[in-house]
Amino acid sequence: MSSKRFHFPAWTNRLTRLLPILGGVSLLYAVTILAFGASPETTDVSYAPKQPVPFSHKLHAGQLKLDCRYCHTTVEESAHAAIPPTATCNNCHNPADANGSVATVSVHPNSAKLLKVFESQATGEPIKWERVHDLPDYACFNHSAHVTRGVSCVSCHGRVDQMEIVQQVEPLSMAWCLECHRQPERHLRPLDRIAQLDWVPEEQLEVIGARIRDELGLDPSTNCSTCHR
Amino acid sequence: MSRETGTTYWRSLHELQGTPQFEEMLHREFPEAASELPEGISRRRWLQLMGASLLLGGVSGCRWEAEQFAPFAVRPPNRTPGVPQRFATSHEVGGGSRGLLVTCYDGRPTKVEGNPDDPLSCGGTDAYDQAAILNLYDPDRSDSLVEERGGQRFTRDWSDFDRFASQQFANLKQRNGKGLFLLSEATSSPTFHRLLVELQEHYPEAVCLEYESVSRDNERRGSQLAFGRTLRTHYDLDHARVVACLDADPLGMHPAATRHTRDWAAHRDPDSGSFFNRVYAVESQLSITGSQADHRLPVQSSSIRLITAILEALISKQLGDFPPEAGRSGHRDTRAPQSAPRLPFSPDVVLSPDALQFVEALADDLVRSRGESLLIAGHTQPADVHARVHRINEWLGNTGTTVRYTAEPDAGRLSHRAAIDFVCTELRDGNVDTLLMIGGNPVYDAPSEVRFADALQQAQTSIHLSAYRDETSELCTWHLPRAHAFEVWGDTRSHNGTYSVSQPLIEPLLAGRSSLQLLAALSTGDPPASGVPGERLVQDTFHSLFPESSGRAWDTTLQDGFLADSALESVAVSTVSALQVTVDAIPLTPSGRSLEVVFSPSRSVYDGRFANNAWLQELPEPLSKLTWDNAAILSPATACEFGIDHGDVVTIESNGRSIEIPVYVLPGQAENSIGLPLGYGRTAAGTVAGHVGRDVEPVGVNVSTFRSIDHMYFESGVTITPTGRRHDLATTQEHFAIDRVGLEEISGRVGALVRQGTVSEYAEHPDFAHHEHPEIPLWEQPEHDGPQWGMSIDLSKCIGCNACVVACQSENNIPVVGKEQVLKGREMHWLRLDRYFTGDMDEPEVVQQPVACHHCENAPCEQVCPVAATVHSDDGLNDMVYNRCIGTRYCANNCPYKVRRFNFFDYQLPVVQPEQSLKQLAFNPEVTVRSRGVMEKCTYCVQRIRNTSIIADNDRRPLEDGEVQTACQQSCPAQAITFGDLKLAGSRVATEQSKPRAYGMLDELNVKPRTKYLARIHNPNPALEATT
Repeated sequence: MSSKRFHFPAWTNRLTRLLPILGGVSLLYAVTILAFGASPETTDVSYAPKQPVPFSHKLHAGQLKLDCRYCHTTVEESAHAAIPPTATCNNCHNPADANGSVATVSVHPNSAKLLKVFESQATGEPIKWERVHDLPDYACFNHSAHVTRGVSCVSCHGRVDQMEIVQQVEPLSMAWCLECHRQPERHLRPLDRIAQLDWVPEEQLEVIGARIRDELGLDPSTNCSTCHR
Repeated sequence: MSRETGTTYWRSLHELQGTPQFEEMLHREFPEAASELPEGISRRRWLQLMGASLLLGGVSGCRWEAEQFAPFAVRPPNRTPGVPQRFATSHEVGGGSRGLLVTCYDGRPTKVEGNPDDPLSCGGTDAYDQAAILNLYDPDRSDSLVEERGGQRFTRDWSDFDRFASQQFANLKQRNGKGLFLLSEATSSPTFHRLLVELQEHYPEAVCLEYESVSRDNERRGSQLAFGRTLRTHYDLDHARVVACLDADPLGMHPAATRHTRDWAAHRDPDSGSFFNRVYAVESQLSITGSQADHRLPVQSSSIRLITAILEALISKQLGDFPPEAGRSGHRDTRAPQSAPRLPFSPDVVLSPDALQFVEALADDLVRSRGESLLIAGHTQPADVHARVHRINEWLGNTGTTVRYTAEPDAGRLSHRAAIDFVCTELRDGNVDTLLMIGGNPVYDAPSEVRFADALQQAQTSIHLSAYRDETSELCTWHLPRAHAFEVWGDTRSHNGTYSVSQPLIEPLLAGRSSLQLLAALSTGDPPASGVPGERLVQDTFHSLFPESSGRAWDTTLQDGFLADSALESVAVSTVSALQVTVDAIPLTPSGRSLEVVFSPSRSVYDGRFANNAWLQELPEPLSKLTWDNAAILSPATACEFGIDHGDVVTIESNGRSIEIPVYVLPGQAENSIGLPLGYGRTAAGTVAGHVGRDVEPVGVNVSTFRSIDHMYFESGVTITPTGRRHDLATTQEHFAIDRVGLEEISGRVGALVRQGTVSEYAEHPDFAHHEHPEIPLWEQPEHDGPQWGMSIDLSKCIGCNACVVACQSENNIPVVGKEQVLKGREMHWLRLDRYFTGDMDEPEVVQQPVACHHCENAPCEQVCPVAATVHSDDGLNDMVYNRCIGTRYCANNCPYKVRRFNFFDYQLPVVQPEQSLKQLAFNPEVTVRSRGVMEKCTYCVQRIRNTSIIADNDRRPLEDGEVQTACQQSCPAQAITFGDLKLAGSRVATEQSKPRAYGMLDELNVKPRTKYLARIHNPNPALEATT
């Protein structure tokens, strides 16, 4: 047996000329994979962790039309739109007391889904909610600075009133933030419509936005120290 | 050692003499190679660590760590998550307290500020107040009770102690308290004193004593001599045209220092329209006040008595010559002395011509401004000097105007010095059954002769309540952890008597209890209740002290931090006639050439109680700029005479006592006087200041072993000999040299950096500080709407007290780097105080100049950054973007002010270790914690600007002038720093910057700094000016 069959056939030599192209393509491929694979659009958007209590925003904010600020009370005065204390849940959901009697206004006093809420109420221990929208620590976002200037909840959080489980819908990347800081008009709305997630503008968004921008004298800054301190 | 005179400026003797070390320093941007690793870690280990952290970084790189929210089950009222709250409280050091406002983030105290309404603080603080927050989160604080029994130590809890104490104190009660000794640190707490009275009722034979190693007892005894009763002296610098300090430091080391500084600074402004005061200082060591004095005479502390007597004789003679009504203001009732005191010698025999001229001019000035002059004697000086000073003030008609007296609370107690002596004698005689020590650390700081540590062994039971398991705790049978003042209820009375409440800002982190809780449990004599609620104790005292107060008074007091109008009332005084006999009996002997040592509390760690505070250890001492050490301070002439060089270790001996300590040669120290700062050489402090048991080398030398009970503050007749060894002293004064070429250039140049003139020069040429430079712009300056931030610093007012440096460190999460790194010039303080000397080497003048980032409009740093990590914001800030920074350090190289700091290592890394993690709580959540390889610098407290602007915008109102305050500005007791919007018409900072004496540092470089300085104006006496 000749050793010839262990050699590449001669025509393969022509392929070596394609090697640089192959190198280029694989580099491009690697960069593309890295750029898209590691981008916030891929890693963060649609992040929807399971919460300890299956709280449905779709039910509460959507069907029951609770205002966002009924629970997230601090959004207009603080940097954080604080997660409500257990006491807020207890306003409606109260378990049966030691004698088994239930307040007439209590909703679902015996629901198993609410067990953790009742437990927290009884022990005073917090419910540990999973954080969905998590900015890096070096970015300082202030909720009050946005909602008091006509930026609605929906601009960053999407239609939470349609979400059974809250998920992230926007990348929350710096480029995404800057887009709005440079041209805020598309995201401005009358201040009394801030928490109305299903608001339909009567006019073109840009027209309303420009008017509100003028009224409130808004000039969003794109300086580094606006967010990074 | 060559002697140069003239108007050259210099920062250290190395610089003045142009030593090779300094020359080398000058030509390097960073004093040592950047690649040097911290000692004690091998290169291999370092690489391993770095490799491991890279690996970990890779593993966690996909998505950042999932976080959880833990909202309250029931949110407390008035609490908005993420919105800081501020609570009024007070902080006490050595019996003197100040009202504070403490900022809490989500229930966690993070920043201390002065209470602007408090009559003593006026919004200012000192460095100790600022650093108190780090003590709160010090992981070395004691977290458990320890009992020693049969040579073995057991960890106990409070119920064990309660059981033990109920038996022990029941026995003591049966014996009417015989054998019970209570030794406490000085405190002004009315509740503490109420409980002491209660304790004495239940244990009539118990002995209650107080001890402080740095005490103001000499002042008490001085008033006793002068007026026949113990009184407290108060100085009103707001009305004093001429202030003379005899070894006194009213602006630096005084319980009312912040108030004094505020009042003094109000009259150092030539543009204010009010009078401009003049300060004379006669002292052995450069004090804060002395460094700001218009005239200063360095003399030995032991010569102050003689100089006071000469001054007294001169003044009485002059007052005899002047008709009483001829004072400057005419209406003052000056009391000429009935008989002029006679000196046993002629002044010119004992004083040099220069010194005599100084004293004569001073006497003359005091008499001319009588009724508006003020003579102050320091706490180091013996009682008779104080008595003489009281009498001179009375003659000058100052009593009631610039100096005022009130009753001294707790006037009947034994002096601190006598107390420690007495308790040791009783211990040795076996009369002490139970010694209860509340605070303090006498094993460390008692004078060596009383041998407190030996005597302590004679007590059958010794109980020590202390924040740390310190030197004293280790020798006691019981150690009890003491809670930090920010964790518990308490009350204080500040120096002027104002009643203040301190409220807990956080639950005790480490099982500690307050002194009030302990005393309340023990004082009744009944079986002690565990953990008496402190609020009730304090409230009971409040209602007994102010029974007529309305129902809401307590709430108001709690909210304000103090009770308005509760200061002590002035009493009318007149010196007793026997005073003449008393002072005449004290022989006046010229001290001659005998060497003396002077003990003073360290301006960094006080008497050692702040030793384990890393911020304070790394704080450059205001005058020597020494960090992480204490040293014997010698004047250049004395060092030269004894052949001692800077950094030599010497042996100082006296009467069989001796210590070895490195020498720091500091201009301004009196000849033949050696300054010894207390508070160092702790052997059981913690991982910062040293702990022999845990193999941590003590920082500095404990000089209290050299202290004699008869000479607590200064002692003559010591000898000094070099040991031949050398010691590295980590100073920051030569770092970040701003220079063009060589040393000759510097002297001319510093004059341009710190500009100063006299009152008369300023009146003649108001624009003397203004230097004309051609300003050719290279490009068009962009115009922006909105505020343009700027700062102005009044060099006339800055006393160099360091409060701003610690405030900045606390506000901006600035790391501590350690002695080794400071030696390499890598300290991280964003704000530094440049201290310049000018004039003669032995009698120099001192100028302090705070330097932080100037936020130049043509910032040279911005132009060289390859990654745009430092860029300009629309409101004129020079932003630093940590995430972009790749650490080329070009910006630091190009910065003419040398204010940029580079993280050579991850200096904050230690806080992630579990045993250090408590320190994480001290961080300000508004400011990024920087890691390795990143440049940082002053941001003008951008987090405060942004947050305040957001609040104003939310309310749809413009920012008010003064609404944004930087941390340094807020802490400054002299209000030397002004910050605000330069574009806002009539804003304070715009007004300051438009004053004729405003100038930009290095403005000839056309970098257009946003920070401007106001030239320093001083007010020399024309009679003395002619000769100097």
